[in-house]
Amino acid sequence: MAKLYSRRAILAQIALGTGVAGAGFPVSHAFAASDDRPWAFFTDDEARWTAAVADVFIPQDEFPSASQAGVVDFIDFQMATAYGAGEGLYLDPPFPAGALAEQGYQLEFTPAQLLRQGIEQARQLGDIATMDAPARADHVEEMSNRDDITGTLIVELWKLTKQGYFADPIYLGNHDYAGWRMVGFPGAHAYYTERVDAHKRSVTPPPRGIAHDRDGSPYPPRAIGGGSD
Amino acid sequence: MARTLPKTDVLIIGGGWTGLTAAYELAHAGQRCVVLERGKKRHTATSFSAPEEHDELKYAHRYSHMMDVKKETLTIRNNRDQQALPMRRLGSFLPGSGLGGAGIHWNGQLWRPLPSDLQMRSHYEERYGKDFIGPDVSVQDWGVTYEELEPHLDFFERICGTAGVAGNLGGEARPGGNVFEGPRSADYPNPPMQQPISNTLFGEAAARMGLNPFPMPSANVTKAYVNPYGAQLHPCTYCGFCERFGCGYYAKADPIICVYDRIKDHENFEIRFDAQVLRIEKSEDGKTATGAVYLDENGEEVFQPADTICMNAYALWNVHLMLVSGLGKPYDPKTRTGVVGRNYAYQTVAGVDAFFDDSVKTDPYMGAGALGVVIDDYNGDNFDHSDLGFVGGGYIACKQYHGRPIGYQPVPEGTPKWGAEWKQAVRENYNHHADLVVHGSSVSTPENYLDLDPTWTDAYGRPLLRMTFDFPENDRKMSDYVMQRAMEVAREMDNVTSVSGTNLAAVDKHYDIVPYQTTHNVGGAVIGTDPETSVVNRYGQMWDHHNVFVFGACLFPQNLGYNPTGPLMGLAYWTLEHMKRDYLPNPGPLMDA
Repeated sequence: MAKLYSRRAILAQIALGTGVAGAGFPVSHAFAASDDRPWAFFTDDEARWTAAVADVFIPQDEFPSASQAGVVDFIDFQMATAYGAGEGLYLDPPFPAGALAEQGYQLEFTPAQLLRQGIEQARQLGDIATMDAPARADHVEEMSNRDDITGTLIVELWKLTKQGYFADPIYLGNHDYAGWRMVGFPGAHAYYTERVDAHKRSVTPPPRGIAHDRDGSPYPPRAIGGGSD
Repeated sequence: MARTLPKTDVLIIGGGWTGLTAAYELAHAGQRCVVLERGKKRHTATSFSAPEEHDELKYAHRYSHMMDVKKETLTIRNNRDQQALPMRRLGSFLPGSGLGGAGIHWNGQLWRPLPSDLQMRSHYEERYGKDFIGPDVSVQDWGVTYEELEPHLDFFERICGTAGVAGNLGGEARPGGNVFEGPRSADYPNPPMQQPISNTLFGEAAARMGLNPFPMPSANVTKAYVNPYGAQLHPCTYCGFCERFGCGYYAKADPIICVYDRIKDHENFEIRFDAQVLRIEKSEDGKTATGAVYLDENGEEVFQPADTICMNAYALWNVHLMLVSGLGKPYDPKTRTGVVGRNYAYQTVAGVDAFFDDSVKTDPYMGAGALGVVIDDYNGDNFDHSDLGFVGGGYIACKQYHGRPIGYQPVPEGTPKWGAEWKQAVRENYNHHADLVVHGSSVSTPENYLDLDPTWTDAYGRPLLRMTFDFPENDRKMSDYVMQRAMEVAREMDNVTSVSGTNLAAVDKHYDIVPYQTTHNVGGAVIGTDPETSVVNRYGQMWDHHNVFVFGACLFPQNLGYNPTGPLMGLAYWTLEHMKRDYLPNPGPLMDA
């Protein structure tokens, strides 16, 4: 039966006109579990724009790109939950002008508000969908140097992209342990007393996340249940 | 009006290392103790167990064990000409909240001060002359000596089951330990940690250069161990989830397993959670404190009267509570008078990255909070400062704390900040990197201080604490000098192909609240023998209110080159000894002002 909605199809559109391999998504793509569920936070346009920027940060090579590893799904989930709503962020006014970089984040927006308003402004600075890969990289670099909400947005998205690429897969990124496999990080089940001072080249154990099936199933359960994997 | 509860003997504000220890010692001395903890109840066994605890995003980047800035934060500026702005998100330092406080998510690096650290002004003046310390540096002696603290430093090392090698046992030099340390009355209770390849190569290089490497003293325990309070600890698994995490293996000493579990059922002990202290009340004559007003778990204001009050909050919040309660005279940098908020200091941290060729695979995920090999040759006054133009120093450690991949992405200098080349460099260097730190001292100055902010308030309507801080010129020179020494050792290490250094206190940089540096905020309510330059006397007792005793790193008159938990717990046991022996039988000032 045809799905009414497909995250995979939405994100594939960003790659279509550009020569970037839209067909390069692996079969075990991040969206398998949640593909038929609309974004919790993003609009389709915002998701496509975010995927394009995230893939400038972490492009595809032998290892998946950011969006292929589920980073957009991760960011969507973060924005729809406590972090996006401003948990751990003091937002009492006033917000005087002239803040120094050393004084840290001084905008009046939660992360979700920052992404919504920041992406709207950023999209007016250029149509990333029509750019080729080098132009996209230049565009992201230029935005990151701006002394306005767009610059703050890029800093935030870079932080979120790294988190989505390397966090435990229960948060929907790091799909199939893409980030952990890339560097050789064995994950959450960690007991190294016997190895730490062996000083021998050793084979890194395969990654296992917090929710890794203790019976040995290769795929971790997901923070958002449902779907058919 | 606050509801008034029955009076207790001792009211303890804060349920971390010092607060729970005060409760243990004073309850056993027959004092009825009430502990007020602003955070939640939690326990090492149920709250910190793997694999759920091994969640880098939740604990290391969403700060789930830390204090909530929505409730309490501070404002920050580099100097008095700027407007301080709120620290809206945690970054540079990470105070805790909840049972055990920051003692839950510490690394377990358990140091002693050098004897000269505690007599910083008199030591330097004696060795280098009266004018050696410049007028813009306000370092002073602690008023208590290493010999006086030694039994207490030793006892706390036993509470933690500390792993290490004594370098100075009763004046006798011991191979493999720190040759610069003061005399110890006993060896460490446990053998040192097992060292990974990166730290080992650092130690070998340092030894070839004539320096003196030794294993970092560690409260990550190496053997099954029972501490003097009867707590059972277990050997470290080198899991790599230490700092910013609790240890469900019972392998990192923390205040819950080491102290709380051993006192929680005592008839003289009571702890109340979700108990946010708002202010300390004073008697009509102002000479004593009468108790504290707090919000209980239902949000109701309650007054808890007490004969004696122990201030055991995190360093910054002890100072804040004094300022909002009118305890002690606030410091004024214009006139350089007053004491509360005076001599705030931090830590001066530089990093050195060394990259190995492919023949050395480091497996950085095998780590522990205090897993390091250290040289102390450039710490304190262990080296000749005559021609250097600064005081103080720092230890250089090669450490392997963790390879958690969101936070651990070492790349050589010149790597682009993102994109294909960055991705390639992360992949190629993750397993071939040695992580060196210069953990430096921080002198106090007349212009670095804490007071109350005129604009912003916390969730309880109190003015925020305001921090005015930048790295002093002295510390910029110190940090740069010691970092150069660290880079020399890094270049001497076998199979190293490139070395780079990052000094957060470099000449062109200002103190920045964003990048994590250390949770070693010190001073602001300092210890001493002169009421003009200290908040408490040498026993930790407030000069102005004799029934208020102050604990923690807020007592440090300046910061030494070591992590603060050892020194501050030595002071805590010193204060508790004098409370039990001298004060409680006959309450009154323990020193003449």
